[in-house]
Amino acid sequence: MNADEPFHKPDWNARLGLRFEAQGSRTRMSVDTQEPPWKVLRAFEQSNGGALVHLHNVSGGILSGDRLSLRLHVGSGAVAQVTTTGATRLYRHRELSSDSEQDLSITVAEGGLLEYLPDALIPFRGSRHSQRTVVNLADGATFFWWETVAPGRQAMGESFAFDRLQIQTEVRSHLRPVVLENFVLQPDVSSLRSASRMGEYSHTATFYAVQVGRPAAELRQLESLLAEQAHAVSHPGVTIWGASALAADGVVVRGLSATARELSATLARFWNTARQFLTGESPIPPRKLK
Amino acid sequence: MLLELLQLADSALPVGAAAHSFGLETLAEEGTLQPENLEQFLRDYLSEAGVLETTFVRRAWRREDPKQLREEFEARRPARESREAAFKMGHRFADLFNALSGASIPLDLHYPIAFGAAGAVVGIPEESMALAYLQQSVTSLVSVCQRLMPIGQVAANRIIWNLKPTIQDAVACSERLEVACFTPLPELGSMRHSTLETRLFIS
Repeated sequence: MNADEPFHKPDWNARLGLRFEAQGSRTRMSVDTQEPPWKVLRAFEQSNGGALVHLHNVSGGILSGDRLSLRLHVGSGAVAQVTTTGATRLYRHRELSSDSEQDLSITVAEGGLLEYLPDALIPFRGSRHSQRTVVNLADGATFFWWETVAPGRQAMGESFAFDRLQIQTEVRSHLRPVVLENFVLQPDVSSLRSASRMGEYSHTATFYAVQVGRPAAELRQLESLLAEQAHAVSHPGVTIWGASALAADGVVVRGLSATARELSATLARFWNTARQFLTGESPIPPRKLK
Repeated sequence: MLLELLQLADSALPVGAAAHSFGLETLAEEGTLQPENLEQFLRDYLSEAGVLETTFVRRAWRREDPKQLREEFEARRPARESREAAFKMGHRFADLFNALSGASIPLDLHYPIAFGAAGAVVGIPEESMALAYLQQSVTSLVSVCQRLMPIGQVAANRIIWNLKPTIQDAVACSERLEVACFTPLPELGSMRHSTLETRLFIS
């Protein structure tokens, strides 16, 4: 699915389509489509001329049977930062209802830059959810993205009490696939406590920094910087981080943690390093991270 | 075909398997992987990464486009060390296979892709190639673990023996060619391997 394609209404029961285009040194956002529970109030101009947008789900989370679609298009030379107003809660599955779904399609045109920085995904007890993210990047496009997944509502003693969580990810440049992942987590079927999965850890975090066309040797340098940083903040048994150059065009930082503490702040540090390396500029963090 | 298959799947085949731990060295060093949980670890690993790799054995055997397979395999392997290890082993395997058989499968393939491609050339059934691939993978990983932790010969062979039903299940799952894999700890073990103070393995 491409962000430029029109929506097919019967397919999704709630759609949001945002478009970011460069106008001189500034980026303007326009709303193609907006249906509840999606809500976007306005774009805020950042000091670099980019547009900052907060995605809000007015229902407070994703309900059983919800089918949400989000499309983001960043035009040539545009700069956008998209975040959420809070964690994405995945509510308990209701009998006779279908699994909830969220489909995110992103395109970044030549020379465009997107920072997609959502809050954590929290799958509640008994939830069944599928998330699919497809990112298409043109030559010279830059993309930063992080994602964290909590084990449940820990304050209520929930840990891996969800039924099923599927997370599919495709990041493609104009030439080749860069990242292809498909996680199917079913704690009752395949223990996440296995040493081949999460072991003693409960939270996962992933950060991608991609710039299409960046030479492999430079990405290895970035890998070294991030790996050094990852090593410094790793404490086996509590939190571990690792970094790696992808097969082309980018790097990934992965983390596992027994606690949610410091995850966002640590991801922001990796983002800072990668942003400076790839664009020569420091990132402008959303207020909640400052 | 049986004799060719036995030779290609022999864990002693000089493709460099003994030099790569695929992140297990880090897990053993940090105590995450121990003799007591090794069998369960491999059982779970086979049901995720084993199925993923076997789909590539099958697709290569079915003569899908090697370049497309290579790029897809790389995109599904985020940890560079493990990705490069699979590529080096595939290169050595293809080079050796071409020298032995007179065939000319591409040299720039990752190990499961080269393995499947060789099976198609020789005419070994797809299912047999898939089973043999996982059998030699498990044998290599257990051998790696014997050098990382105290596991005797009998215990090591018992683990390999006990995993045969899991290998059969993984091969059956791979028939759908649907790829799902969630192995963050071995992946992080691979990403963090270069930070170990002393290392026995390249990956």
